[in-house]
Amino acid sequence: MIRNYLKVALKVLARRKFFTFISLFGISVTLLVLLVAAAVFDHALSPQEPETRSDRTLGVYDLAMTGPHNVQSSEPGYGFLERYVRPLAALPGVEALSFISTPQGAVAYLDGKKIESRLRRTDGEFWKILDFRFLEGGPFTPEDERDARFVAVINETTRGRFFGGRPAVGKTIEVDGQRFRVVGVVPDVPQLRFSSASDLWVPISTAKSKLYRDQWMGGFNALILARGRADLPAIRSEFQARLREAEKRLPDPKTYQTLSSGADTLFEAHIRQFSPGGHMNPPTPGRVKAVLFLLMLLFMLLPTLNLVNINLSRILDRASEIGVRKAFGASSRTLVGQFVIENLVITLLGAGLGLLLAVPVLSALNASGALPYARLAVNFRVFLYGLAMAVFFGVLSGVYPAWRMSKLHPVQALRGRSV
Amino acid sequence: MTRHLFKLVWNRKRTNGLMILEIFFSFLVVFVVSTLGIYFWDNYRQPLGYSWENVWRVSMEMNQGDQDGDDLKAERLKTLDRLLREAESLAPVESAAAAMVSPFDQGGWTSATTINGKSVDYEADAVTPKFADVMGLEVVSGRWFEEADSALAWDPVVIDQELARAVYGERDAVGQAFGEPAPSERSRRVVGVVREFRKGGELSARSNFLFENLRLDRASWFQPRSILVKVRPGTPAQFEEELTARLQAVAPEWSFRIKPLSQVRRATFRELLAPLAAGGTVAFFLLLMVALGLLGVLWQNLLQRTRELGLRRAAGASRAEVHRQVLWEQLILTSFGVLLGAVVVIQVPLLDLVGFIRPAVFAAGLLFAMAAIYLLSALCAVYPSALASRVQPAEALRYE
Amino acid sequence: MIRLDKVSKLYRTDRIETTALDNINLDVEKGELVSIMGPSGCGKSTLLNLMGLLDAPSNGRVELDGITINGQGDRALARVRNERIGFIFQQFHLVSDLSVVDNVEIPLLYRKMSNRDRRKAALAALDRVGLGSRTRHFPTQLSGGQQQRVAIARAIVGQPKILLADEPTGNLDSQMGDEIMDILEGLNRNEGTTVVMVTHDPRLAERTHRTVRLFDGRQVQ
Repeated sequence: MIRNYLKVALKVLARRKFFTFISLFGISVTLLVLLVAAAVFDHALSPQEPETRSDRTLGVYDLAMTGPHNVQSSEPGYGFLERYVRPLAALPGVEALSFISTPQGAVAYLDGKKIESRLRRTDGEFWKILDFRFLEGGPFTPEDERDARFVAVINETTRGRFFGGRPAVGKTIEVDGQRFRVVGVVPDVPQLRFSSASDLWVPISTAKSKLYRDQWMGGFNALILARGRADLPAIRSEFQARLREAEKRLPDPKTYQTLSSGADTLFEAHIRQFSPGGHMNPPTPGRVKAVLFLLMLLFMLLPTLNLVNINLSRILDRASEIGVRKAFGASSRTLVGQFVIENLVITLLGAGLGLLLAVPVLSALNASGALPYARLAVNFRVFLYGLAMAVFFGVLSGVYPAWRMSKLHPVQALRGRSV
Repeated sequence: MTRHLFKLVWNRKRTNGLMILEIFFSFLVVFVVSTLGIYFWDNYRQPLGYSWENVWRVSMEMNQGDQDGDDLKAERLKTLDRLLREAESLAPVESAAAAMVSPFDQGGWTSATTINGKSVDYEADAVTPKFADVMGLEVVSGRWFEEADSALAWDPVVIDQELARAVYGERDAVGQAFGEPAPSERSRRVVGVVREFRKGGELSARSNFLFENLRLDRASWFQPRSILVKVRPGTPAQFEEELTARLQAVAPEWSFRIKPLSQVRRATFRELLAPLAAGGTVAFFLLLMVALGLLGVLWQNLLQRTRELGLRRAAGASRAEVHRQVLWEQLILTSFGVLLGAVVVIQVPLLDLVGFIRPAVFAAGLLFAMAAIYLLSALCAVYPSALASRVQPAEALRYE
Repeated sequence: MIRLDKVSKLYRTDRIETTALDNINLDVEKGELVSIMGPSGCGKSTLLNLMGLLDAPSNGRVELDGITINGQGDRALARVRNERIGFIFQQFHLVSDLSVVDNVEIPLLYRKMSNRDRRKAALAALDRVGLGSRTRHFPTQLSGGQQQRVAIARAIVGQPKILLADEPTGNLDSQMGDEIMDILEGLNRNEGTTVVMVTHDPRLAERTHRTVRLFDGRQVQ
């Protein structure tokens, strides 16, 4: 039966070339846009080098202080992390714990040419939590951090800029008025991965001023690697307990009384950062997924209407075929099935076209530099998203026309419409 | 005839309803994108109030924190004073000023004051007296800040014309008190009015603006993050390196990044226009898709209706009349969708949902969207209606 | 009234040429009631279409009221159809999305007149076919006979001198067919309307003044 449907579907498509063209155009453009969005989401959120352990990594990216009249929110400060997050390292479920500063612009002048880089300060544990593949050399160590040694790990692009791509380990690099000895070179990390991306990584203790050590707010993130996913809830609840403790020792208790923060997964961290009011009370990932789904529906609305309209006209064109099928005993349900399958065939064809188009579009996006170091690509996950969206789109745009088709009266259908 | 066609469109509402809905959503898409585009274009035409040519921005990283005491803050401002002097001592520098927020920064410092029970929002910045020279501000009445202002018992402020009009109406703002001081605060008084200051740059909307005098001789909660340097025309980019080194020597614990405002401006433009460009591209393809779809549907519908059209020809309609009829029907159909869209869209200014867009911009967006949708729909109807007028009545009415 | 002078009609499809009508001479006088008979595919409808200016002959001349129609432009032909000719079809050809009265108004839409006059004329025409009470219905809500009466109302609403009917009773049972024939006869007798009717039904043909017989595109008698 299905084979028969497919055969009819392909024949119909080949016969009405103009309609097939406009349907395919609409479907492929729609799925192209959705695929690009899916690729960006996947690129920002899925586990990938160096964040291969992101499924068991939590981060403290955000801290909000609230009082009756005032709200202050930013990244946590080093002082806060040292006092209230460092103790989490003692939990049995915690494998490693690291602090890392937010990226800071760092300028260097090389032979009169200006080089702008992003620099982050971190500790030796950072390299255990993240899975960097070293092109040469290796990470700096906890001892480097303890002794404030001026060492740096740089990314591939920075090696290209400063050393013309030649081996850099052992050489010195001068940025922002400080000189560092390069100990390792790693591949570029997309800037969307805000817990790991940078151009240069140097020990925290090499900071120009030591004022950071006492601060509650500003400039630092903590990364916590759990031994397994099962340990995450215990770490989260311990973090909240520490937060309550910290509330009792706030620096300015007259203005601020409560602290809000979370040990977040990457997705939760994005939610906390980008949703309105997210600093204090972030919506749950399920809610956000529902909203994203609704947004996708909203975007699909116009293309769906368009396809439904085209499908309806196609059906009227085939009234006599439907009449014959009904006369020879096809039930309404079979007809609905037939048409939905026909529509799925064309939707999947369009999706395939959209997928083909997505490849050059994504590489153009990578080349444009709009998302630094982006390596957007159609991988297997994105392909699956695309497939799911295409099937959804196909059913959505096929059901109503199919229902209308099945309602056609056989006699009228055979006679064609009156005038 | 129009009435007849209205009836025809209305009686086919089941078939036409979905088309109308499609036109309605297309209208909304065009409206949103075009209104945003017109909004930016309208902003771009307005005077900026300052000149960014040959001005360099020095961003400073100074490890300031919430635990800093007054002596630390005072020390920092003294360092800042030394930095400004150091910069001005260099030959290519005409003048230098410090500011909390730099021009072209998005976001920043906003505040509000209550006038006759009505709250007036404004953006603000705290700047040192040389700021007016560096940015080339035009003082239209009163005066700009002076070094001697430190001796005053109150805090001088300079406001722009928009804010002056909003707070003082037709009265002269100069010499007036600005807002009610809180018990522990010093009172503020307007000393001058500048023509305009749009901190966000050409693409941001006009807004009220207020300057506070940033004093470097005592601790305050103002934490300047930028130094703005006016360099002589033709200063080579290599001077950046020297300037950075000289500033670094004065404050070794701070970090400095220099960028010409022209580059900051370009980056701001890119940042604000990129979403519009992306949205515009997607909207363009959506519309192309809708246009092709409408063309197909219209064509197919007319094929369904050949007998009706043949009958009309038999009843004495000329080719031209059939052609016109089909075009008219399409226009009526479009009008339903556009009308529906306009009714929805008009709620936005009526309910004041998006405050920052002027009604005129809004109206322009509405008109543009209407024109675009009518044009699109007419284009889609041209070919099918030409086909329709070629219907041979004898063929169409032949019985099978 | 209508004169066909050595009229032929050829249809060309790809390589085959079909002769639908061959050298037809026909005169229909003013006030005549003429029927055209013949087997299926003999060219009856083609003949009617030529008389109704829906089609142009390949050869020969079509004359209406002493004026040669051949070679006139589309606008002029449309004008003649609109003012002088009314059509009735076997399939009724009512516009299903328009109410009865709106269907009847169609020919008047292509004339300059006020909406109110149009409505008045349409209602009067419906009265004359005995459907004065069903003006707001839609065609699908009517029986076949009623639909054909609407179609007649539409044909006569513009007060044409000529009515061309293509098997007007072909889709109706004999009783309804008789009713339709009564109306056509009445129009012919009382208003002096010239009626040309294609039919299969010898009973109806007998009620006309004369019958033209066609066979394979040729006039038999």
